[in-house]
Amino acid sequence: MKIEIATVMENKLIASNLWKMKMTAPDVAEQYKGAGQFIQILVQSSWESPLRRPMSIAAVDGDEIAIIYKVFGRMTQILTELKAGTALDILGPLGNTFRWDDNEFTAVLVGGGVGLAPVLNMYGECTAAGQEAVLVLGARTSVEHFIDHKPQNNVFLATDDGTTGIAGTVIPAIVKSLENTSKPEILACGPEPMLKAVQEFAAAHQIPAQISVESYMGCGVGICQGCVVKRVNGNVAEHSYHEKYSLVCIDGPVYQSKDVIIG
Amino acid sequence: MADLRIKIGSVDFKNPIFVASGTYGYGTEVSELADITVLGAIVTKSVTRYPREGNPPPRIVETPSGMLNSIGLANIGVEAYIKKMIPLYEELKTPIIMNIAGSTDDEYCEVLELTELVSSNIVGYEINISCPNVNAGGMEFGVDCDLTEQLTTRLRKLTDRLLIMKLSPNVTDIAAIGVAAEKGGADALSAINTLVGMSINTTNKKSNIHYGYGGLSGPAIKPVGLACVHKIYQAVDIPLIGIGGITSADDVLEYVLAGAAAVEVGTANYRDPNIGTSIIVELDTLLDQNDIGSVPEFVGKVELGS
Ligand SMILES: Cc1cc2nc3c(=O)[nH]c(=O)nc-3n(C[C@H](O)[C@H](O)[C@H](O)COP(=O)(O)OP(=O)(O)OC[C@H]3O[C@@H](n4cnc5c(N)ncnc54)[C@H](O)[C@@H]3O)c2cc1C
Ligand SMILES: Cc1cc2nc3c(=O)[nH]c(=O)nc-3n(C[C@H](O)[C@H](O)[C@H](O)COP(=O)(O)O)c2cc1C
Repeated sequence: MKIEIATVMENKLIASNLWKMKMTAPDVAEQYKGAGQFIQILVQSSWESPLRRPMSIAAVDGDEIAIIYKVFGRMTQILTELKAGTALDILGPLGNTFRWDDNEFTAVLVGGGVGLAPVLNMYGECTAAGQEAVLVLGARTSVEHFIDHKPQNNVFLATDDGTTGIAGTVIPAIVKSLENTSKPEILACGPEPMLKAVQEFAAAHQIPAQISVESYMGCGVGICQGCVVKRVNGNVAEHSYHEKYSLVCIDGPVYQSKDVIIG
Repeated sequence: MADLRIKIGSVDFKNPIFVASGTYGYGTEVSELADITVLGAIVTKSVTRYPREGNPPPRIVETPSGMLNSIGLANIGVEAYIKKMIPLYEELKTPIIMNIAGSTDDEYCEVLELTELVSSNIVGYEINISCPNVNAGGMEFGVDCDLTEQLTTRLRKLTDRLLIMKLSPNVTDIAAIGVAAEKGGADALSAINTLVGMSINTTNKKSNIHYGYGGLSGPAIKPVGLACVHKIYQAVDIPLIGIGGITSADDVLEYVLAGAAAVEVGTANYRDPNIGTSIIVELDTLLDQNDIGSVPEFVGKVELGS
């Protein structure tokens, strides 16, 4: 991990309320280990907002890294205003990656909203490595999507209102995508309700799944102990440390779906 | 070059910039990002008698110029601290101050006693008295003069190392608590710990902190910290360590003028774990620019009136 002054190369709207930013960040790019990892961005130097903001890495290409983000509040709004050439203070790469031991499975990559970045990143890495993968992306409505529904290419889109792709949550789209896959393993990132649904689905169908979880992040490096997620661990001793609560910034953000409790 | 060295009790520090408990882990986590060897001292995360998981999430939330936290003293416990951390500190050039928390007098004492049994280069103990006392109906040690004096007296008997009592601002008269700790035999006082605060999400009506309240820290609390240090300075004769919202050398000078002999940087470390080092460099320049030869000359020299 490193603190680096990156340079914004491109920053544009790619779908409704969804932005993609590319920046040169040689140190972070060099240390990058894989999809799932994130950076902590210092959006502005004033101490009005003391904390950095976590953003998953969406792609790494040479010296360049990309993020895909949604506007939620003040700092993500300010991010949209940054022009090419702007210096941006980032800390990273942080956290772990989606695990991938061999090519004997089909990666069912499920993403939505703020969780698109690591999933698209993983899709790129699978494609580059010749790993079998299907992509399932969810959104509320068609304008939030920026690629096409192409089941023949293993790209499945879902919209809550049915305006594009398969109507409903990502679950019916996952079901559809599983029709022609062997040995599926789900790798997912997205809003809490989506992750919960994926978790239940994977458990019910006994499909292995990894999920990248979100939590309110302070330092990103393990010194504040703020960003915990509850582990599924029935036998926690009366006095224990990090058995019941895991630090998302170091132990995560990617977990085996069966190991954590979301929300 | 200004002389940044200071002395607290009988201990020499190479500069007055320490990092605050709970904002720098056990000191070794960020060695990739920061040159921790130049810090005046590292105050490690509160250690309790037994390991603690801490509170359910959400534990933190950003607030204007600050943040709230309710970590719940998640820590490895004194036995693991002795086994895993103390050996690491042997190789470290930076003085370590061990912060201790407890829920009874006995618990604080046991942690200190167990640590005193092993050889270590820990230079002192900072006692976090912003903890509920289970023997006093959950009232915090640090809100009561008698509880503070009793605890300090007991701890004093157990160690010759630096004993620093860390005061809570959530009291009516912080100077009186400071006096009680001084009577109990403390070598120094540090102030302030976090202020009780709350933050609510109006969309879903939920508190942004799991248990409702959290401790407010960061630049938002600097004026409170300064006033507390100034009040305590006038009431006691032992040195003070100023804490609360420090992000720059100018903030350090403010605390020194208010009465602090040294300072601890807290929340600012989350943005940049190397900020302590930057402040040390900045402080050197600032002292030179103002023709101040050394920090002690300046302690408590704030002028009131017009
Ligand atoms: C590991 C991780 C990876 C993430 N990756 C992405 C990504 O690739 N794309 C994306 O759009 N978003 C991502 N997020 C979420 C993103 O960090 C928040 O949307 C962002 O911090 C909001 O900041 P704001 O100032 O705009 O909002 P604020 O006005 O501060 O708050 C709005 C909401 O944003 C969330 N939030 C605010 N601060 C933090 C924080 N420090 N940590 C976590 N959540 C926070 C909270 O839910 C809050 O209610 C990620 C979060 C985590 C933990
Ligand atoms: C997340 C967090 C955890 C903390 N943990 C402890 C702790 O374990 N023990 C302690 O004495 N103080 C703890 N503190 C308080 C700080 O040491 C410091 O007194 C306070 O944050 C004010 O300084 P600041 O404004 O520079 O952060 C913690 C503060 C924060 C923000």
